[in-house]
Amino acid sequence: METCSFGDEIEERESKISHLAIDIGGSLIKLVYFSRDDKCSTGDQWINSSNEGGDVSSSESTCPILEGKLHFAKFETSKINECVEFIRSKKLHHSGGGAYKYTDLFKEELGVALDKEDEMNCLVAGANFLLKTVRHEAFTYLDNKKEFEPIDQNDLYPYLLVNIGSGVSMIKVDGDGKFERVSGTNVGGGTYWGLGKLLTKCKSFDELLELSHHGNNRVIDMLVGDIYGGLDYTKIGLSATAIASSFGKAINKDLEEYRPEDISRSLLRLISNNIGQISFLNALRYGIKRIFFGGFFIRGHPYTMDTIAVGVHFWSKGEAKAMFLRHEGFLGALGAFVSYGKSRSDDIIVHCLVERSLVCTPCRGAAVDTVDGNMDESETIECCVYPS
Amino acid sequence: MGGAGGLTEDLVLGINDHIKDAVVDVRERGSESVEEGEEEREMVPPRGPTSSSSGVSIHRSSSRPQLDLSGAAIQGNFEEKDPTILLPNQSDDIYHLALDIGGSLIKLVYFSRHEDRPLNDRRKKSIKERFGISNGNRRSYPILGGRLHFVKFETHKINECLDFIHSKQLHWGGLDPHQWTSEAPNNENAIIKATGGGAYKFADLFKDRLGVSLDKEDEMDCLVAGANFLLKAIRHEAFTHMEGQKEFVQIDHNDLFPYLLVNIGSGVSMIKVDGDGKFQRVSGTNVGGGTYWGLGRLLTKCKSFDELLELSQRGDNRTIDMLVGDIYGGMDYSKIGLSASTIASSFGKAISENKELEDYRPEDISLSLLRMISYNIGQIAYLNALRFGLKRIFFGGFFIRGHAYTMDTISFAVQFWSNGEAQAMFLRHEGFLGALGAFMSYEKHGLDDLMVHQLVERFPMGAPYTGGNIHGPPLGDLNEKISWMEKFVRKGTEIIAPVPMAPPGTTGLGGFEVPSSKGDTLRSDASALNVGVLHLVPTLEVFPLLSDPKTYEPNTIDLSDHSELEYWFTVLSEHLPDLVDKAVASEGGTDDAKRRGDAFAHYWIRLMEEPAAYGKFGLANLLELREECLREFQFVDAYRSIKQRENEASLAVLPDLLMEIDSMSKETRLLTLIEGVLAANIFDWGSRACVDLYHKGTIIEIYRMSRDKMRRPWRVDDFDMFKERMLGSGENNRPCPYKRALLFVDNSGADIVLGMLPLARELLRCGTEVVLVANSLPALNDVTAMELPDIVAEAAKHCDILRRAAEAGGLLVDAMNIQDGSKESSSVPLMVVENGCGSPCIDFRQVSSELAAAAKEADLIILEGMGRALHTNFNARFKCDALKLAMVKNQRLAEKLIKGNIYDCICRYEPAR
Repeated sequence: METCSFGDEIEERESKISHLAIDIGGSLIKLVYFSRDDKCSTGDQWINSSNEGGDVSSSESTCPILEGKLHFAKFETSKINECVEFIRSKKLHHSGGGAYKYTDLFKEELGVALDKEDEMNCLVAGANFLLKTVRHEAFTYLDNKKEFEPIDQNDLYPYLLVNIGSGVSMIKVDGDGKFERVSGTNVGGGTYWGLGKLLTKCKSFDELLELSHHGNNRVIDMLVGDIYGGLDYTKIGLSATAIASSFGKAINKDLEEYRPEDISRSLLRLISNNIGQISFLNALRYGIKRIFFGGFFIRGHPYTMDTIAVGVHFWSKGEAKAMFLRHEGFLGALGAFVSYGKSRSDDIIVHCLVERSLVCTPCRGAAVDTVDGNMDESETIECCVYPS
Repeated sequence: MGGAGGLTEDLVLGINDHIKDAVVDVRERGSESVEEGEEEREMVPPRGPTSSSSGVSIHRSSSRPQLDLSGAAIQGNFEEKDPTILLPNQSDDIYHLALDIGGSLIKLVYFSRHEDRPLNDRRKKSIKERFGISNGNRRSYPILGGRLHFVKFETHKINECLDFIHSKQLHWGGLDPHQWTSEAPNNENAIIKATGGGAYKFADLFKDRLGVSLDKEDEMDCLVAGANFLLKAIRHEAFTHMEGQKEFVQIDHNDLFPYLLVNIGSGVSMIKVDGDGKFQRVSGTNVGGGTYWGLGRLLTKCKSFDELLELSQRGDNRTIDMLVGDIYGGMDYSKIGLSASTIASSFGKAISENKELEDYRPEDISLSLLRMISYNIGQIAYLNALRFGLKRIFFGGFFIRGHAYTMDTISFAVQFWSNGEAQAMFLRHEGFLGALGAFMSYEKHGLDDLMVHQLVERFPMGAPYTGGNIHGPPLGDLNEKISWMEKFVRKGTEIIAPVPMAPPGTTGLGGFEVPSSKGDTLRSDASALNVGVLHLVPTLEVFPLLSDPKTYEPNTIDLSDHSELEYWFTVLSEHLPDLVDKAVASEGGTDDAKRRGDAFAHYWIRLMEEPAAYGKFGLANLLELREECLREFQFVDAYRSIKQRENEASLAVLPDLLMEIDSMSKETRLLTLIEGVLAANIFDWGSRACVDLYHKGTIIEIYRMSRDKMRRPWRVDDFDMFKERMLGSGENNRPCPYKRALLFVDNSGADIVLGMLPLARELLRCGTEVVLVANSLPALNDVTAMELPDIVAEAAKHCDILRRAAEAGGLLVDAMNIQDGSKESSSVPLMVVENGCGSPCIDFRQVSSELAAAAKEADLIILEGMGRALHTNFNARFKCDALKLAMVKNQRLAEKLIKGNIYDCICRYEPAR
């Protein structure tokens, strides 16, 4: 993991970092931290927060408004020591399942106690935060076209939040802090990465994902046409190219004889499609029209999004829509961050956010190595916080 | 039911249970003809078109025409063993094969014509005339009774499948080869019904290799038709499977729809079924059996699906799956109801850096994969059931294969997500839904109208093993069966309980270590789901005198109670060496008989190990299975010589006994007769305790000694009630005699001759018609319907009452010649009917048509003996008066049923309901 540049930067700004939230998942550790801005820091164009909310009285802090940037960073959980190294001596505040598991480690290494936030709380808080405050956060993806979807804040709820981490949680969100985990599936990002690693010997998740770009799943998947001698099964609306059975054709040759690209593609389709289907069925069950997909599995990967979107579209006959979040992987960490403020005061408000993108491209998230300083730099959100 | 309308509903296709080479079939059928006794063979006059089926039967499509039997006639010599039945008004040949060619597996359903037993004996003829089962009646046409076989092949070995079909000539209807060649069937028009994608893909191959066209049936149509048929026609088809416990579910036919049918093949289809032919494919998933096999093969290098499945049984998925506990440091995430052992992410732990594929155990991988896919299917199925408000979900398809873990996982998923509201159910014929549906789609097969009681499932050697695994076709040849069993015993000593102490093939008898306990031999996670051969026996009917056929349960002892199972397993195991001894001796004690005896014993123990694999199982089923198993190894009648000897000995002392009885007053006589029945019931080779008695004296000595001990009061004693009905309460109150009594007889020898015959004679004397009801096929030393006429004839030599009644009943040869004489009215008749069973017990849901006919005017039923009055029917109630007589020859049963002791007697009289 290349944390050097980022680390340097952090150290540079150390004094300015006031809050740090962490989401330790099964595969990845996500960090969100806030750096206070000294007005003349970079000279980039960004908008200050407005103050119409008025001064919020504070009992413990005299600092009226903190202006600054939210930074996002991630580490692989297996390399937690690097993460620990990275945030050594910083005060932590975080969520995620791993928070429990790694409590001892953090205590030992950093001498701090983890203030554990409920994972679902964090996810929802993070998603609500993003959907309400960041314009162009949500988008649809169909036929290789990304389209930003304006979200009417008054018509946001209910929605289904599908967080695809190692596993998948499906959460029905009815409002701020009002939610229920209604479903989930154990076939998630961890499955893709775990099975993919066994099957392709890839060294990283992103490498595996990259491979899938060049793959052809027809070599491995049994399509309807394979069974019906090239014909559609029109009576039940299955086209010849529909996958009848994932990996159903992989029964005559050994693993070595298949291209890792094809395997990766097949696997990706299996998992994306499955998540799309289960999500739709749950949305249907609660009469929810909008499904937001987040979590690190997606990584802005077009094919993944496409498959999920197609799955939702297919099963809902176009009635339900799959939407994706640009900060997909940081919901938990962001939520932890938001709750960090709340734990001190109910009144923390993040008023204005402006995203500052240095090298941001629409598929930036798909970059192979997401865990580097550049990305985090590009993904900062400028904001001001009233840490009353 | 009668009249012309009944014709079509009884039509069933003839099937031979063993897959044999068609060429040798003709000869072999003869030797196996004892397997079925229900069929009749008769010449039929030409008939007009028949009406459609009756209302009580199964309809898939009311518009579907039936097999047209009009004008059916036997071709050629009537004395021929297996005459071809010509159906001149049938537009096509009757097809005997249907296929479901899926992505991974080819499923075949085919039927073999039944070999008909030449049964033109005088008893039958007389019974037919008396009960109006004669020409012109519904029973008069040739019944194509038969057997429905289920076989599977892997799709990539399609050539094996083609060879199989070819060798059996199934594509020509499985007719005897010389028959179809001489008739030169029109090759151009031959078609086979087929479904599944392969029906398209391999159509040309079938044309090239077999010269037949595949008539493609819609896959979903077939699945639904197959499932509906199974759920309606087969008792104990559906079951739940939770935490290793299998429980059969009785499906109410009137409350079957709607349900969700989840067919897990290579892919998964989810179908909402609203009725016969009314359904909609509502969902599905591409993560199915093909995914398990494909991914599994890539990851483990397994050579077959079954091998992969087998591996999973020894796996531990925790090394590969990321559990909730792994993420939460071993703690549950209780807030959202996830326990620490819940899988958070399948294969989520397989990302560790320093481990390669080779570092993981294939067993663990297989299990992890299996859980992932099963769980996923369960979840999606539940969500769809929820969506349409369906409470019942049936899972079928070849992925499951009766695999306990798969079923548990699916059940768990459904239960978990539904909070226990929905239930996953599985089907025993899971893999054959499509093929069966395709078979049903033949326009004229008559299966639509089959009713539950006409289907008997048997488990011939080989069939149980094809249910769970793919082993190609079931074993056919007897020799093949024996060698297979020997191989199996050598290979699987850890599975099978008794081990031969001498080399197989030479011991013959006694060479078994009797397992002390059943518990350890149960393999909980094995593929214990066996599909037998469905015998379609159109002559079986529900006994019309059952008070409530819907709630009737023949078994008194339910073996799902584990302690009961263990006990009876031990009892039957102890009895086994003696039985093998008898069986081998009955076949002349040859080396061949010894080999067969060994194979039988091992097979029987093997079958007993997994009683739940054959549907819901009671003691009666277990006892019947034993008889079936003996027949399987061609032990036609293990107790033949013993029965004969005891009959002769008993008949020799009968005149003395009758004289003694005749000297008594009416009242004493009735008591003595009942005592005699109870006393004579001690002669039972099925009871270990009684076998030991036999060496202690002559038959009459034991009988008298036993009768002396039968003094009242008995443990269950309704004699006074019965007496009052028979004799009235006083001189002025003479009751009218019973019109007709059905006497269900038990053992040969003293039991029938000294017990039941004298009682029958007394009833005849009172002016009651007597019908002796006996087994169709041998079971232990029970007397059979075939043997009874000779016994009665012999007894009649010394007794006028019996002679006149037997004459009137057509049991004596002479009587045939003087049918219309005045003599006929000189006595009420004594008749013999067969019950349709080959078991020591009787299931009143499936009895022979002649018994059903005889029952119509009966107003008294007498059930005698443990098998028919205690093991079964102890709690059964009838529409007419019933008398249940038995001596309890088992201590545990005595304690359980009547809180008494061994040799206690039961005389239970239950007036009509």
